[in-house]
Amino acid sequence: MTAAPQSTGRELTGPPTDGISNIRFSNHSDNLLVSSWDKSVRLYDASANALRGEFMHGGAVLDCCFHDDSSGFTACADHTVRRLVFNYGREDILGRHDAPVRCVEYSYATGQVITGSWDKTLKCWDPRGASGQERSLIGTYTQPERVYSLSLVGNRLVVATAGRHVNVYDLRNMSQPEQRRESSLKYQTRCVRCYPNGTGYALSSVEGRVAMEFFDLSEAGQSKKYAFKCHRKSEAGRDIVYPVNAIAFHPIYGTFATGGCDGYVNVWDGNNKKRLYQYPKYPTSIAALSFSRDGRLLAVASSYTYEEGDKPHEPDAIFVRSVNEVEVKPKPKVLPNPGT
Amino acid sequence: MSNGQSPFLQMESACGSLLHELQIIWDEIGESDAERERMLLELEQECLEIYRRKVDRANTSRAQLRQSIADAEAELAAICSTMGERPLHIRQSDQIPGSLKAELGAILPKIEELRKRKYDRKNQFTEVLEQIQSLESEIYGSSENTSTDTVVDETDLSLRKLEELHRELQELHKEKSERLKQVLDHMNSLNSLCSVLGLDFKQIVSEVHPSLGETEGSKDISSDTIEQLEVAILRLRKLKLQRMQRLQDLAASLLELWNLMDTPIEEQQIFQKATCNLVASEDEITDPDMLSMNYINYVEAEVSRLEELKASKMKEIVLKKKSELEDICRKMHLIPESDSAMDIAIDAIESGAVDAAYVLEKIELQIAEVKEEALSRKEILEKVEKWIAACEEESWLEEYNRDENRYNAGRGTHLNLKRAEKARVLVSKLPAMVDALTSKTTAWQRDRGVVFTYDGTCLLSMLEEFTTLRQEKDLERKKQRDQKKLQGQLLAEQEVLYGSKPSPMKNQSMKKGPGLSSSGASNRSLSFNGAMPQTPKPDILPSAKTTPNTPHNVKKNERVNLDNRRDEGRTGLESSSIPAKQHSLNIMNACETESPKTRKPFTPISSIIDSSKSNATYNSEDPNEKSNETFQKALPNINTPFTTHSKIISAMEEENQTPRTRPSTPSTVSDSMQTAMTPAPPAVLPRNDKPTEVAEEIEYSFEERRAGFVLSTAHLENTLQVL
Repeated sequence: MTAAPQSTGRELTGPPTDGISNIRFSNHSDNLLVSSWDKSVRLYDASANALRGEFMHGGAVLDCCFHDDSSGFTACADHTVRRLVFNYGREDILGRHDAPVRCVEYSYATGQVITGSWDKTLKCWDPRGASGQERSLIGTYTQPERVYSLSLVGNRLVVATAGRHVNVYDLRNMSQPEQRRESSLKYQTRCVRCYPNGTGYALSSVEGRVAMEFFDLSEAGQSKKYAFKCHRKSEAGRDIVYPVNAIAFHPIYGTFATGGCDGYVNVWDGNNKKRLYQYPKYPTSIAALSFSRDGRLLAVASSYTYEEGDKPHEPDAIFVRSVNEVEVKPKPKVLPNPGT
Repeated sequence: MSNGQSPFLQMESACGSLLHELQIIWDEIGESDAERERMLLELEQECLEIYRRKVDRANTSRAQLRQSIADAEAELAAICSTMGERPLHIRQSDQIPGSLKAELGAILPKIEELRKRKYDRKNQFTEVLEQIQSLESEIYGSSENTSTDTVVDETDLSLRKLEELHRELQELHKEKSERLKQVLDHMNSLNSLCSVLGLDFKQIVSEVHPSLGETEGSKDISSDTIEQLEVAILRLRKLKLQRMQRLQDLAASLLELWNLMDTPIEEQQIFQKATCNLVASEDEITDPDMLSMNYINYVEAEVSRLEELKASKMKEIVLKKKSELEDICRKMHLIPESDSAMDIAIDAIESGAVDAAYVLEKIELQIAEVKEEALSRKEILEKVEKWIAACEEESWLEEYNRDENRYNAGRGTHLNLKRAEKARVLVSKLPAMVDALTSKTTAWQRDRGVVFTYDGTCLLSMLEEFTTLRQEKDLERKKQRDQKKLQGQLLAEQEVLYGSKPSPMKNQSMKKGPGLSSSGASNRSLSFNGAMPQTPKPDILPSAKTTPNTPHNVKKNERVNLDNRRDEGRTGLESSSIPAKQHSLNIMNACETESPKTRKPFTPISSIIDSSKSNATYNSEDPNEKSNETFQKALPNINTPFTTHSKIISAMEEENQTPRTRPSTPSTVSDSMQTAMTPAPPAVLPRNDKPTEVAEEIEYSFEERRAGFVLSTAHLENTLQVL
């Protein structure tokens, strides 16, 4: 796997021993938080290629996010939401759901932790109320279906669930969704990510397609939305479609990368509707993607996502590649103002 | 000896006196004789002891001396043997065996001397060996630079060996000079090659070894360098041969072109250098830059210029020949065959697809053929000309006859009269002429087996037509004559009745000048009443138009295809606004879809489904066999397989599901998934679905399936209550 380090990027040493559920760069450094099905959460220094810390949980870890550079949160299949303090190697349980917790996000705007679970609820937590679930839990919000993906931008929260529901919340008023939508795509939602400029979100499905949506409900606003096909392979006139597991927006240019079960990472310019770049094929499905805070690095989790059940597969690996500007810079228009 | 005696004697007397003293003491003491005897014996024994000790010591020192002499001799022998000299046998050389000390004293300086000699010799060896080594490293590459101090074989320092080494050294010197010479030779040849090829000698040489590029300092002469030099020479020679070949080819074409086009000498002079080497062998080309890329390109440019010139001239010639051919054809009233083909050929010359010479040859051939044919046609053609002239005259005569004022006196009237007279004779000969022509033509046709054409028309049919026309005309004339007669009778009768006669009608339009009716196709055709076809002019315009048009159209089509392809293969996002068109799509698919409510694929269910089982059932089913009735049942099964990747979806349905306004043809592929893919109604959210209805439809993400997460009824009820 390390045979082509230049094309796929530098492979981190000591990767998780089982499927990688998510990877995230810190907002303050090149630290990379990795959650995995091997019940571990690992903290890497991506630029130094060093493992900085490791936490073991009671179940598979389905998601993780940073709080600040020294602490983070995890969503665990044992129904718990945990808080990790990296410096002291300490972890405590923030609270519990009634089913495995699928995703976790930390809102810098409100200082809350938001978790989505297969128990069809969304929960908001105050991480400062360190002791006791009763104090840290702010609210529970029922969702139409099991939560599959969450994304935050500013005060907006987009929740994608099973059954292709998409709920858009305003974090300041969580009593009911601001918008109730249905996915424009006809198949199960895999991932939802908000545009960095806060005007909309991209949503990917298991059927090789990504929809670009806008919050603005006016006709003019909605006329901009579209969907496109990707992560497909044409063979003898038939298309093989792959699930699109991951979307990551470039923090500076607003372009985005998608990763699919075909093992490819594509970089797109949503404004100009162009594909900017395709990285060489990774050994197996792309489970997660994350750009570093300055967009200079792209972490790629190449890890079998269980799309075809239990079967032999390539070992799980994390690649960190330096991103060339030409790969992510919007092409025809000079305006680097995405989504507007 | 005498010196040693006195102390000995003294000591003896001292001993005697001491004995005497002892006797006196004993006497005084009154020692018994036995006692005295014993004491004396004791004394004697002690003395003996002392003697023996001394003797032993002397003995050992003698042995040591002998030992060192032997050692020295051994060393001497060793040194001698290493130096390859005859061993000195000291004891044999001086027969007088002196004392041991003298012997040792004699040997030691010799050893000293030999040692010194050995040291000198060793230095000599070292020196030579060092030289050898440095030369070797120079020649065989500096691989063994590390062993700086030379190891001299201490066991053999003979002069013979030294000589040997010297010889070796000399050989190495010789080899070095040879190599140097070789290197210089190589460099010389490289230099000449470079100058001929216009390459940078210094750079090439430096590439081989940096020391070679420098003008001063020693050159590297290692085998590696020589080998590389040889390789470089070989490479350059190959290049030279290539270029020479090229230049000679170019020169040959140059000469040919000059020859063809009579290029002036001044122009040729510039390239004299290139052409004079046309048959030169490789080593005859020595002029600097003779084979440089610049020069070759220069010559090549000239050749291409001349070739272009030649091509244009060729084209000119072709065109000239073509016009010549056309001219002959026109003269012979033949239709130049396949005119458009010729145009195509000329186009081809212009585009360079066809050799002009080939076309020229073809045209020449055609000309020859046409000329040959013309010869055979000549006789008939002359007759035809005569006939046509006669016909013209006839028509003129006819017109002339129609002119009522023809007998009015005026200028040129007499000429017309004369002409009319001649014409009448001619006209009378016409039928005979036609007959003769017909027979001649038929004879000709029989000979050749080809129809005789005149300006593209069959001459026989022309003649036939002419005769029938003539007959008709005769008939008409006759009729006219009869009528005239009748009229004349009527007039005469009227005259008789009224005594007057109408003046003859003066028809202005009928009046024609003699020059006007002289000749001309229009006149002729008029006379034949259109029976004689006009020369079919080669329809250049349309043919010229159509030939380039076809490729043009093709190209256009190709471009369209390309556009389509690009459309399909573009990397851009295939976009369309989803919501606006969903409805229309729905309507389009409505023929085969059921009410949207029953087909909401992603609604929660109350019963647990073994997804893997349903998966299996789905896979085992052939989608092509599925009909519309079974489709609703199949739907829940469809859901689960979609969580597996690499689901194959036909291109057809792909199109279908893209929310585009493009009309879809839904029924071609009977894949059941197609229907499943029609978009669900956008407005309604599945909130209050009855669990029974929804029971079969459940979806799980990969993660849920991996975690073995299954929705429990409790969960469902719970959520339903909440909802």
